[in-house]
Amino acid sequence: MNWKCEQIEERLSEHLDGLLEAAERAAFESHVAGCAQCRTLVTQVSAALAQVHRLEMVEEPPRLVHAILDQTLGPRAPKKSWLGWFGWLQPVLQPRMAMGFATVVLFGVVTLQAMGVQVGQIGWSDLHPAKLYRESTRRAHLIYARGEKFVNDLRVVYEIQSRLRPVQEEQQPQQPAPKANPQDKPNRESNRLDDPECGLCVVTTGMVGVPGRSAR
Amino acid sequence: MYNLCYRFTGQPHAAEDLTQEVFLRVYRTLGSYKAIHGGFTTWMTSVTRNLLIDHYRRTKKDRVTSSLDEEATMAKLEEKASSTRRPDQIAVAKELSMQVQRALGKLSPDLREAVILRDLQGLDYREIQDVLRVPDGTVKSRINRGRIELARLLEQMGVRRE
Repeated sequence: MNWKCEQIEERLSEHLDGLLEAAERAAFESHVAGCAQCRTLVTQVSAALAQVHRLEMVEEPPRLVHAILDQTLGPRAPKKSWLGWFGWLQPVLQPRMAMGFATVVLFGVVTLQAMGVQVGQIGWSDLHPAKLYRESTRRAHLIYARGEKFVNDLRVVYEIQSRLRPVQEEQQPQQPAPKANPQDKPNRESNRLDDPECGLCVVTTGMVGVPGRSAR
Repeated sequence: MYNLCYRFTGQPHAAEDLTQEVFLRVYRTLGSYKAIHGGFTTWMTSVTRNLLIDHYRRTKKDRVTSSLDEEATMAKLEEKASSTRRPDQIAVAKELSMQVQRALGKLSPDLREAVILRDLQGLDYREIQDVLRVPDGTVKSRINRGRIELARLLEQMGVRRE
């Protein structure tokens, strides 16, 4: 089957859309392969089609939807009831608003307590800025002083232990260490109190870890 | 529907008015739709097409080149549609889209609607036949002539092939 240029032009779209039968497609491609004019036409139309297919959907303007709803369903009628007076409260009465409000209140309570204000017996004078500043400064200094004292106490304990360790080693002869019975559970509490290395528990109990002295 | 109206008229404001009119008419005549006459989308496309042709005939005498304001709106619409690409790609895509839109506007209405329904709306030949209420041979002929004419217009406008 030999097609002419007029037939090629007439059936071009069907070829591009894949609607030709096998024999027709073969005849089409055979003619195009040998005809420069038809080949150019097919290339141009294919390119134009690609350009058109590349066009993307344009979005409608947002007001269009509202305009359509107003014209079809009509504008919303205002609610005529006593609840309408409190309509402005509706955005506030959402769960997330209540959660946010509760979080803000909790934060305020914690902050005021940190500043030394008794929330249960709060008065207007307690919220005076000068008083809040004074109280919060006092608490900050107190926390700092306690921390400083703790570190100094630790330092003193370690110094004493380091000086006593050589004396302790001279006094105690070298004895083999007893075999540990695997069935015996380690008595953590008593060992900790006798353990001279445990400076923390010594400080917390208020006793200096003198060797040989039991805490009991 | 808005996309169909915009691609046919080439005017964003006219497309907006026509889209409203389409939905209003569908809302009012919903009782006349029967499923045996075809799918709902096909019926709605048919209503849209009738309105577009009426609008074309009504404004044929008053047709002038689009104003600067409408050109600017068109440019924004084409830019938004291709917003997922790099800036240089967006600029090129926008210019190409506007050129293709101008070429579509130069086609005669019957060829333009056939090309838009087939290549932009993705309707098959049978559905286009139902929308336009013309024989199958006429549908194929219009689509073919529309595509060839569009290719010649784009070639004249110097749109480069990719």
